[in-house]
Amino acid sequence: MLHWIQYIRGYVTIKVWGYSVERLLNLCGNHDILVWEIEDHGDYHTMHISIEGFFALKPLLKKTGTRVKVLHRYGVPFFMSKMLARKIFVAGLVCCILFWCLTSRFIWDIRIEGNLSLTEDVLLDYLEERGIHTAMKKSDLQIESLEQALREDYDLITWTSAQLKGTTLLIRIKENDMPVYEAEEQKESSQGMDLTATRDGVVTYIITRKGVPLVAQGQSVKAGDVLVSGAIPVYNEDTTVRKYQFVEADADIILRYGKNITLEEAVAYEEKIYTGETIGIPVFGVGEKALTFRFPGIPYDYYDISEEKSQVKLLDHLYLPLYYGKRTVQEYEIAIKKHTDDEMKVLLQARWDKIIETLEEKGVQIAKKNVTIKKNEEKWVLTAGLQLEEAAVKRRPSRIVQTPQEDASEQTAE
Amino acid sequence: MESLKLPKDTMLGAAIVTVTGNREALVENYKGILEYTTESIVLQGKNARICFEGKNLSIDYYTNEDMKISGRIDALRYL
Repeated sequence: MLHWIQYIRGYVTIKVWGYSVERLLNLCGNHDILVWEIEDHGDYHTMHISIEGFFALKPLLKKTGTRVKVLHRYGVPFFMSKMLARKIFVAGLVCCILFWCLTSRFIWDIRIEGNLSLTEDVLLDYLEERGIHTAMKKSDLQIESLEQALREDYDLITWTSAQLKGTTLLIRIKENDMPVYEAEEQKESSQGMDLTATRDGVVTYIITRKGVPLVAQGQSVKAGDVLVSGAIPVYNEDTTVRKYQFVEADADIILRYGKNITLEEAVAYEEKIYTGETIGIPVFGVGEKALTFRFPGIPYDYYDISEEKSQVKLLDHLYLPLYYGKRTVQEYEIAIKKHTDDEMKVLLQARWDKIIETLEEKGVQIAKKNVTIKKNEEKWVLTAGLQLEEAAVKRRPSRIVQTPQEDASEQTAE
Repeated sequence: MESLKLPKDTMLGAAIVTVTGNREALVENYKGILEYTTESIVLQGKNARICFEGKNLSIDYYTNEDMKISGRIDALRYL
């Protein structure tokens, strides 16, 4: 403590020599001048003395016939005068401290832990919507309400914890491990649902679980035709419809239909041959704007441009809107070439396989196929006649509507 | 005098020497310093001189009221 006070007020180390150092010490004591760490070096003594003490020492030196020399200066007053000589350094130091004080009031990083099925992007977007993003003020953040909102807006999240660690916002969540069953929506059955065909075809298979089938196996239908009605009529004794019971029609129905596919593949093709000539252009970007060092012009007839850009980032998540990279211009020449028969086969086969694959992905089965390939000098043409089978049905609200008048009249009849 | 129970040092002007081991000595109520080398330090009290002898003696601080001596103290004599 005493040491700190001495340091703040400033002190010097002096070398004292001459006739009687002891007498000088006595005088110092009498004049209330504090000296400490007095050491005897034979010819001379060294001691520490405060700045005020040093200035009060002059008359005493004369009296005792001793001489003094300052060896070292310590303390804040000397430090300050040293610092004042380095104005820019001090200004930089002050700016630096201010900068730290200022930036530590913002959130510079958002980390999310514990999310398994909710991706970080989803959660970050959600936070952004709530006005929580990097470079926001810490004081604007309401942790309690954020935790609550996360739990309320995502059913999957069962527990949340948000905390500020320095300038990092750490959000820890726990997702529900148990599967979430959504309550099956009970539809009001005031109106039935029909099954209708989505395309023209022939019914090859029909099994009805709910509703009234209106078509039979082998019957041709048109797109939009009702296949299974969701309105089940309840008949009177005279076979007139008394009322309808509405259900959601459910049935396995397969429609068969024909489809023609034509694929053309030209024998001649253009090939890019890269000449190996390239130009690299450095690119720098700030925000949306990119800055490139332009050349007077690209001296190639045909060229590809590719660009690689990297973003400057601090920490793991904080990206600065600064980009740097390289734009590469590659020259090529066009050569006209012809595919060989084997190549043509492979090309067509690949395209054909892709079509079949997409059909199968949609749940379409191929009942029959008839494929022919016609070749000539310029191109190969693949023609295929397919017989496809597909559950091409769609649910649609029933067109039959219960009229309340009927109900009323029946009630009076009863 | 005794019955007043006043501290003796103020009344008699006697020096108080507190020695800690042989490494440190605190002296209060002295008049001045007569001699100071690394081997001996002689202080003037009201009635007697106090002489510290030893090796590497140095004065940690020195004020009007008290002073502290450190180093290896071999002997403490009253002259």
